[in-house]
Amino acid sequence: MTRWLALFILGCEVWAQPSMYETKVQPILRANCLACHSEKNLNSGLSLETRESILQGGNRGAVVKLGAPEESLLIAAVRHTGSLKMPPGKKLSDEQIAALEEWIRQGLPMPASLQTRKRPGMDHWAFQYPKRVPLPSVRQVSWPKNAIDYFILERIEKANLKPSAEASRAVLLRRVSLDLIGLPPTPEELAEFLADTRPDAYERVVDRLLASPHYGERWGRHWLDVARYADTDGYTIDAPRDMWPYRDWVIQALNRDQPFDEFIIEQFAGDLLPNPSTGQLIATGFHRNTPSNYEGGIDFEQYRVEAVADRVNTTGSALMGLTLACARCHDHKYDPISQREYYQMFAFLNNVDEIDKEAERKDFNRPFLPVGSPEDLKRYAAWEVQLQLLENELNRYRESLPGEGALLDPGVLERQKNIDAHRRRMPPVSRALIMRELPQPRQTYIHLGGDFTRRGASVEPGTPAILPPLQGVKGRPTRLDFAKWLVDKRQPLTARVTVNRIWQKYFGRGIVDTENDFGLMGDKPSHPELLDYLALEFMDRGWSQKQIHRLIVTSATYRQSSQLRPDLKAADPENRLFARQNRLRLDAEVIRDSALLASGLLSRKLGGPSVFPPLPAGANAVTQVKREWKVSSGEDRYRRGLYTFFQRSAPHPALVLFDAPDATVTCTRRIRSNSPLQALTLLNDEAYFEFAEAFALRLLKVTGDDRARLKEGFLYAVSREPSPSETARLERLLAAQRDAQRGEKAAWTAVARVLLNLDEFMTRE
Amino acid sequence: MTYEDRLLLQTRRQFFRDCGIGLGKIALASLLSEPLLARRHHAAKAEHVIYLCMAGGPSHLELFDYKPELVKYDGKPAPDAILQGKRFAFMDTFAKETPKLLGTRRKFQQHGQSGIWISDLLPHLSKIADDISIVHGVCTENFNHGPAKLFSMTGSVRPGRPSVGAWVTYGIGSESKDLPGFVVLQSGPRGPRGGALLWGSGFLPTAYQGIPFRSVGDPILDLSNPKGITAEDQRQTLDAIRDLNQMRLELTLDAEIATRVAAYEMAYRMQTSGPELIDFSKESPATLKMYGAEPGKSSYANNCLLARRLVERGVRFVQLWHTDWDHHDDITKPLEEICREVDQPTAALILDLKQRGLLDRTLVIWGGEFGRTPMGEVREKGKIGRNHHIDSYSLMVTGGGVKRGITLGASDELGFSPAGEKIEVHDIHATLLHLLGIDHLKLTYRFQGREFRLTDIAGRVLDKLLA
Repeated sequence: MTRWLALFILGCEVWAQPSMYETKVQPILRANCLACHSEKNLNSGLSLETRESILQGGNRGAVVKLGAPEESLLIAAVRHTGSLKMPPGKKLSDEQIAALEEWIRQGLPMPASLQTRKRPGMDHWAFQYPKRVPLPSVRQVSWPKNAIDYFILERIEKANLKPSAEASRAVLLRRVSLDLIGLPPTPEELAEFLADTRPDAYERVVDRLLASPHYGERWGRHWLDVARYADTDGYTIDAPRDMWPYRDWVIQALNRDQPFDEFIIEQFAGDLLPNPSTGQLIATGFHRNTPSNYEGGIDFEQYRVEAVADRVNTTGSALMGLTLACARCHDHKYDPISQREYYQMFAFLNNVDEIDKEAERKDFNRPFLPVGSPEDLKRYAAWEVQLQLLENELNRYRESLPGEGALLDPGVLERQKNIDAHRRRMPPVSRALIMRELPQPRQTYIHLGGDFTRRGASVEPGTPAILPPLQGVKGRPTRLDFAKWLVDKRQPLTARVTVNRIWQKYFGRGIVDTENDFGLMGDKPSHPELLDYLALEFMDRGWSQKQIHRLIVTSATYRQSSQLRPDLKAADPENRLFARQNRLRLDAEVIRDSALLASGLLSRKLGGPSVFPPLPAGANAVTQVKREWKVSSGEDRYRRGLYTFFQRSAPHPALVLFDAPDATVTCTRRIRSNSPLQALTLLNDEAYFEFAEAFALRLLKVTGDDRARLKEGFLYAVSREPSPSETARLERLLAAQRDAQRGEKAAWTAVARVLLNLDEFMTRE
Repeated sequence: MTYEDRLLLQTRRQFFRDCGIGLGKIALASLLSEPLLARRHHAAKAEHVIYLCMAGGPSHLELFDYKPELVKYDGKPAPDAILQGKRFAFMDTFAKETPKLLGTRRKFQQHGQSGIWISDLLPHLSKIADDISIVHGVCTENFNHGPAKLFSMTGSVRPGRPSVGAWVTYGIGSESKDLPGFVVLQSGPRGPRGGALLWGSGFLPTAYQGIPFRSVGDPILDLSNPKGITAEDQRQTLDAIRDLNQMRLELTLDAEIATRVAAYEMAYRMQTSGPELIDFSKESPATLKMYGAEPGKSSYANNCLLARRLVERGVRFVQLWHTDWDHHDDITKPLEEICREVDQPTAALILDLKQRGLLDRTLVIWGGEFGRTPMGEVREKGKIGRNHHIDSYSLMVTGGGVKRGITLGASDELGFSPAGEKIEVHDIHATLLHLLGIDHLKLTYRFQGREFRLTDIAGRVLDKLLA
């Protein structure tokens, strides 16, 4: 029946009288307009190809007013009556213009096939909702431990290969400890695990690690990469600002396994939730991590716009897996994201009460939330009131003065001095940067060519047409609506992008290799069904990140050995099949933490203001404004790497040399480089030498002979016992280094330095 | 052949069979002189670059761009026509009243056979006028220091792109086996605005970032052995590290370990070559005098000499910063002082390179992130300075592949806008790459869904500048 109906409709269109659109209008458009203004080539955001796209208009706004050609921009442009003259370099004939006018007067009649937009890429895999498929059948049925393994094994078997054997228990414990909490196991933890013969010994370890407060530190750091977290404000002046309360919020949110949808909503729009808690306000620091410029002579609006654009781009890379930044200056060249849609998303994030003019310069950190003890907050509130009073008094006095010259009036100077003195008496609270919405939203415009001074059509907040629409929104949609939309379960991207990034941390590469580009130019998933399975599990299990971690690390896939295999070299040189694990160099912070653990110096203190471990002399001499680096004392000297104060213009070399991101833009994957400067750091840096000496003293306390001490050293550094040849080699070093004058400590320091410089020490096998 | 060369060779065959190109391999490439491009796009005219970055924005109108018309109209309000639609830094100052034109107070003269105009602030450069060329009418995009510096070094006003030196070492590696391919030097009262981003590797692997060297103390961070560790201790420790890593390599077959072994050996060599680099004792007194260099001091003169020594040792790219040229308040005394610091060493560097036959292989560029306005700026009674100006400024260039003794481009009568040909920062970058044998359209890196270039979507080679 439907088939007949379809044929009937088709028949009508074929046999009906050719419409005036087909005989007159379409030839004009084809010859003169569509080369630049089609669904494929959206110059100025305008497509004249479909009725829907014509009615949507372009970057300059509407182009057609139905029934009123004299009020339509399209007609003004072809008539050359205004500044916009189309087509470029020529003019249509009067007859052609008359045809277009008649067409508009009649209400744009067009054939059924040209009624709605035809955006290229609508059928792209990433824009379709994830599908749940039955687990594939496999031959080696004893191998899979959970669903993940079926998807992996099926592909391995299809390639006539076999998965790798499980890694040794020692390697497994070291791997999962480094991955989940960013610290290697202690020799005691290793001994305990090796002695545990219960069938679920490994699962018990996983549960212990997921419950450890260090889990939040490790996985918090991954998120801080995405959040472009730093402790200073960047660009020129690069002054310290209080972002650490946000960092601590992230750690705590992960430790209590806050559902990922809430985690995102609070970071994007915690301030717009009903009666937001302090934590929900601090969470909004996420999008306040953008660098800010306030050097002399700037246009504040320019850098505010830069920050908002960065928020859009970050949202694209981190959650949507889309290179939205491409659509800032023009429609996206590959993905169905128009420039208009870019600025519609921009509009959600454009209404924060940040300063945008010179007159407000002294308020450059606005908006912020005072954070501190209840007493200090009380004192701070009183201090603020007093400050306001003093400023009001100064203004009143100024107004009472006649004419100019008020600048040097003794009364003004004295009042100003009082205000300055009062400012210096600010109670010790931190000012956490947060989001706060303006009572009246800013009008958002399309910035032609991405230039904030060139305003195109005004736009209202909205989401890209390629994705499910906003739902249940009354009135003008807000930043909170946008946040909820990002984690709406109907959204095909956020869950996929997030589980893919988690997978990437465990295997060194994602199921989608281009972890921040799921668009048409990005890589296709190597295991699309697995990606969908994980995305759906993530949402179905209440957006619990810990459950996804548990699922992955307990899989047989994760537990494989990382040993290179001759048969895999030829068949799968890039290990796209995951038929083995990958050896991964540890992240910058984890290398520091591992050395701290081995040396016994590690402070396990959680959170608080960032700290200042020793810095190589002269490392921050290159900044414009000299900043003091007062080395922290006590346990703060030995805090985990993620607490090291991050100065954007001169980041700690031990971090950036090992590929920690520079915190200018969002970072969704760290590169792993291998350079001589890394060697110099681990060999010679004051901090690492101190760790080596402490490590040596710890080994000297071990009862027994050299071999017992070497064994203990290996257990701390690489979580295994040395082989006989390794022992022999280090005994040779000891013999060469032993010197009555310098004592045993020097010889063992040499051993400790070797251990802390081994490739294996800085690698997760 | 050193141990690690052998090791690298030995593992290379296996390596390409096993893993394709790993990141470790790429990272090592820049430091072990292995270019990523199999061969250059065309024959190179220059092998090295010394970029003398004058932070703050030197006034083209006081140094190279002589404007008698501007002198004639000194004190007259700037014509509305040229100000219309323009934006400036410190708009407030300019908004109060129409800014007044400011003619230069310097004496200009034509120098050498080429007749290049140079002011009396630069007597030493004047003497070598036939060895240098001046480019006028250069324009840039942003009138604030930080973003403009980023633009001049990375081709983008937004942070996050690789520095030109990183692009170059990524593309063609370096000849130096004992020193990093991209070195940063710095002098003046403070660091340049933007800091590490100006020599950062952006989205390229961090091994390509510029490495700051100092002319006193340890030239590279952590280059000295820890206290109490002798050279013998260090060697013994390194031997043990190498042997244990080698055992692990045999067990895991992971070529990344071979790369690490090689990296440690290069670190050791750097420990020897670094101190030798900054040791000026073998330089003749005449050379030291020519630069005005004083061993053990941190100065622009010392850094110019260091730049020559770096290039001599095969370093690919030297980025040399000198602050501070930001003369808002006063375009007389402070400018005279900084010119005295900079003129002689700059001329000495060019002469020295020439005498040693290095100038034909080394591209030298001197200039700031922008110029200064033809209008005066009064911040303090009795003094006059100039504001930031992005529509037209001047650069000095010379060296490998560059025509010498010419003036390219021109500004209009007031020195405000380019007269005729407009030269953009991306054009300078395209030309720089061209001289090194790289096609700026082909040196790309894929990041966040698209291929990136140093020259973004612009850039053309300045043919008239080529010898």
